[in-house]
Amino acid sequence: MNNKAKDADGAQILAAAGMRFFGRMSASATHEIKNTLAIINENAGLLEDLTLMAEKGHPLATERVKDISQRLARQVHRADLILKKLNRLSHSVDLTRELVDLEKAVIFVLDLAGRLLEIQQVTVEITPPLSPMVVDTNLFYLQNAIWLAIDMACCCADQEKQVKISFGTDSTIPSVWFSMGRANKDKIENTIKDLFESKEDQALMAYLGITIEKNNKNNGFGLLWTKST
Amino acid sequence: MSEKVLLVDDEREFLEIMSERMRARGMIVTTTESADQALSIIEKESFDAIIMDFQMPEMDGMEALKAIKKKRPELQIILLTGYATVEKTVEAMKIGATDFLEKPADLEALVEKIKTAKTEKMLLVEKQTEEKIKDILQRHR
Repeated sequence: MNNKAKDADGAQILAAAGMRFFGRMSASATHEIKNTLAIINENAGLLEDLTLMAEKGHPLATERVKDISQRLARQVHRADLILKKLNRLSHSVDLTRELVDLEKAVIFVLDLAGRLLEIQQVTVEITPPLSPMVVDTNLFYLQNAIWLAIDMACCCADQEKQVKISFGTDSTIPSVWFSMGRANKDKIENTIKDLFESKEDQALMAYLGITIEKNNKNNGFGLLWTKST
Repeated sequence: MSEKVLLVDDEREFLEIMSERMRARGMIVTTTESADQALSIIEKESFDAIIMDFQMPEMDGMEALKAIKKKRPELQIILLTGYATVEKTVEAMKIGATDFLEKPADLEALVEKIKTAKTEKMLLVEKQTEEKIKDILQRHR
């Protein structure tokens, strides 16, 4: 295979990784929007039921109508927040490179994947960096890598299902660390191998210039920006 | 006779309104926010139909469906889902789901499905009873 063909192949693999991430996030978001629509639908149906009863002579309870209206407004607000997150994710492909605050990126991915984490019943705790940690990178793929790490960390989290995220202290090598309390050490070994196992993961980490290392306590791993993208 | 329904969904607000509307249509409704709780409820009570969200914390719909069918094969389960793929639908039907309904669902359509489920359950129980009687008679011959 010549260099051009290799580049094209690499680009295709990277795109596949991105599509997989985008698909997972949009599937979760649209599922949640469907849930809000279902509640809106039932509230509208309840209003119809109350109206029909009023037409038959039952007094219409204004407090009830007010409550339904508040419920509707709440669900509209909920759907709006989900759509805003999805829209922000969609726009993260706008620039090939930009300066990204790592903590903000992690918080956004956690917010975006909130329902997925809720389903896995995992709680995530973040310890902010001592000073803002900024990397010059591709925002969309960075979010993809963060999600991949969170997902992997959730998979090896102990029974308490707690994942702790912290940031490195070496300002020359930005890093994000994921630890899982009394996590299964074999699982962590496998996780690190898994992160490099698929072609997509390898292409993603190589593109972002990320290396993965086990932490000192052997209960987690970190994403380290050892070279700029 | 009123249909007895167990409604399982992790969206509390959905449970509240849906159950109120179903009760207004003469149904007896029990609600729960988790598949785990649903499993313990069905050990103590019988239902004509279970209406269950397909994606919930703790146990996903497919796992819950398998567990319920293992415990109470006669129970009729109607799955509510945000988005149903053909593969998932086929898999769920193979495991024993009675029907599928996509969210947001039309309550009148759901009521019809519950009535059908009740009839099917009655037929199934009748068949099981007949088989038990046959079995007892054969043993005594």
